[in-house]
Amino acid sequence: MENISDPPHALPGDFAIWVFIFAELTVFGVLFSAFAFARAAHVDLFNQSQLALNRGLGAANTLVLVTSSYFVARATRAIKDGRGLLCGHWLTGALGLGVVFLALKLFEFHQDYAHGITLSTNLFDMFYLSLTFFHFMHVLMGMAILAVVAYKAYAGRYGVEDHAGVETGGSYWHMVDLVWIILFALVYVIR
Amino acid sequence: MQQVFTKAMARNIFLGGAAFFLIIYLVLTYDTWQQIPVRDHADKMTPAVVAGRYLVDTNDCVGCHTINGEGAYFAPELDNVYKRRGAAFIKAWIRSQPTGVAGRRQMPHFNFSGQQLNDIVAYLKWLSNVDTNNWPPNIQG
Amino acid sequence: MKYESQRVAKPYFIAALALFAGQIVFGLIAGFQYLDGTFLFPEIPFDVAHMSHTNLLIVWLLMAFMGAAYYIVPEEAQTELYSPKLALITFWVFLGAAVLTLFGYLFVPYSQLAAMTGDKLLPTMGRGYLEQPLPVKIGIVLVALSLLFNITMTLLKGRKTSLNLILIGALWGLALLFLPAFYFPIDTVKASYSWWWIVHGWVEGDWELILGALLGFILIKMTGVDREIVEKWLYVIIAMTLVTGIIGIGHHYYFIGAPRYWIWLGSIFSALEPIPFILLIAFAFKMLLRRRREHPNKAAMLWAMGTPIVAFLGAGLWGFMITLAPVQNYVHGTNLTAAHGHLAFFGAYAMVSLAIISYAMPLLRGREANSAAAQRWEMSGFWIMVISMIGITLALTGAGIVTAFLQRMGAHPLGFMQVQSKERVFFWLREFCGLCFFGGLVVYLRSFFMSGEYEYSDEAIRALAS
Repeated sequence: MENISDPPHALPGDFAIWVFIFAELTVFGVLFSAFAFARAAHVDLFNQSQLALNRGLGAANTLVLVTSSYFVARATRAIKDGRGLLCGHWLTGALGLGVVFLALKLFEFHQDYAHGITLSTNLFDMFYLSLTFFHFMHVLMGMAILAVVAYKAYAGRYGVEDHAGVETGGSYWHMVDLVWIILFALVYVIR
Repeated sequence: MQQVFTKAMARNIFLGGAAFFLIIYLVLTYDTWQQIPVRDHADKMTPAVVAGRYLVDTNDCVGCHTINGEGAYFAPELDNVYKRRGAAFIKAWIRSQPTGVAGRRQMPHFNFSGQQLNDIVAYLKWLSNVDTNNWPPNIQG
Repeated sequence: MKYESQRVAKPYFIAALALFAGQIVFGLIAGFQYLDGTFLFPEIPFDVAHMSHTNLLIVWLLMAFMGAAYYIVPEEAQTELYSPKLALITFWVFLGAAVLTLFGYLFVPYSQLAAMTGDKLLPTMGRGYLEQPLPVKIGIVLVALSLLFNITMTLLKGRKTSLNLILIGALWGLALLFLPAFYFPIDTVKASYSWWWIVHGWVEGDWELILGALLGFILIKMTGVDREIVEKWLYVIIAMTLVTGIIGIGHHYYFIGAPRYWIWLGSIFSALEPIPFILLIAFAFKMLLRRRREHPNKAAMLWAMGTPIVAFLGAGLWGFMITLAPVQNYVHGTNLTAAHGHLAFFGAYAMVSLAIISYAMPLLRGREANSAAAQRWEMSGFWIMVISMIGITLALTGAGIVTAFLQRMGAHPLGFMQVQSKERVFFWLREFCGLCFFGGLVVYLRSFFMSGEYEYSDEAIRALAS
């Protein structure tokens, strides 16, 4: 039931989804700022502890996520042409790469633990583990969303005019990818 | 972004978000649970410490005092009272309550035996050695 | 009132208000003991006055929530309550247990109460807000189960609205989150860590869902705004509550013996906890602006609009002031915490309870709204209580700041008792505002005893003329 007093384009929904996007950006923004702030106070510690990170795995994961984002972009293009099946395939590919990311990351966590890196070893390790675990959870969440979208694409529930779900789900995945790129640069690379 | 944000989407974000953070909290709690016995020297929790803790609970000490900043704000912080005052003072103080001084905040008289007082002191001593991230900021609590 | 069985809400609301009055009496006693420590000593030592004050608060709020549930659930589900009889029996059991517990606190020394009630079997006594003897705690669980059974059965046989699902879900959460009351580890740090599952889990989590649901219900009924819009907002708000509040619990873990990373994680996430309160204000006022009717119950509307504002001030603003670890290092365990606690509890939970009572009581008494005169008394009560509570909060804030500076900072910090003696002016101010608050409560309660209902004649005349 429409509220008659609503102006045509000021749907409350738009505002609401932006609340969540704002919340996500805020929390990652605050986390990254906190990291930068902590680093400024402990430059040597951070530089030293950073050496223990597996940059190769980090770089591989960056490649994996960027490629998966490309797949998601292709999926969106496909559905804009009304090709639900092709859209589903691209999304499945993205999900497959997501699995690769999770596997590589889990292996990396396993290695870290074996080298005695925990949340309580030092401030850098605390940030590194918190940030990457928090991001890991977002990848999981993103994969759940993509899986639902892929299912619906295969089931023919999207069309040329009506595919908002693909765009929303795709946007979330792109956000997750972007966050990783920033994270990789800040935590793994910058000295 | 073309958008129709439905109630169902909002509901899913609520459910997904709650589950998401609950999992993170469980993981952190697991780690915390492993760390706590190290940080609070659980190996030093002797029967006397345990008995002292039970006395502190059943006499509602935190109904007036705080322990690690938690409780009521009527009387001093007990986390570091052992370091601030020492065993002898603490026992003598408890024995001599209430002060009866006009207008001053009164502490009840607890009929503790010598053994019970020792247990309470043991607990307070154990408390003072818990790693509380440098809190309180000074000896006054 | 659409369903006969909604009537069972009435005794719950009446008891809630009576217990509220009792809470304030003990608050005044405890507050006076800050000024004259020998007042009523040793008959009512401070800790007894304090636990009576806090326990009465919790019980009256629970009574109000339960009454609200019995009122709202049938109307939302569009069917009679499953068992009004069970609801009434549960009411008397809960009230009886509450009074008995209060007598236990007042007339039996705490350690003796513990011995008498089997605390040695399963120790649960001695923590803040959980001072109740073991049998009483079990009783609380049974009362909760009775409520949950009743409203869930009602939901199952009727219409399932989002609002009802959220409210009933939150009440299940309330009950589940009470269970850690039976878990009291020997390790004090673990005991503190798990205590917050109840306290933070309730007031900075689960109860915010109840707050949202109650406010949402009142707004749907009073403004006529489309339910879909209200319910969508509600989901957004409660989502923000949990995504900030679940890790936000870390702001209780800085200095209790938990690992250091909580200092960072707790600060970051709890700093975001004001967001749902900001959204609540936007939500309430947006619905008000979009309203499709002028509801005659102006008093209820005032409570409904005032609630999110005071809740934001107390929980959002004052909460933010003390939440960041570097600040909390100096103010942890001071009257600043009490300042936040009073304004937050009053704004978020007391006021929404009074709002639902304000909305529902006239209906339970057979009219849409009380007379204009009665509403004026009620609204006066609102203003006196709100302003007095802000006064109490400012007084305690002053005291807390003095403690931070004199006792927690500097090269020669002073001792606790000495610092407290320097704060007397603030404690006098607090007590004075407390007395004003009590006056406001009396004015508020008087409104219930004024007969007559809202006179529509003026409006009707205008309507006829147009």
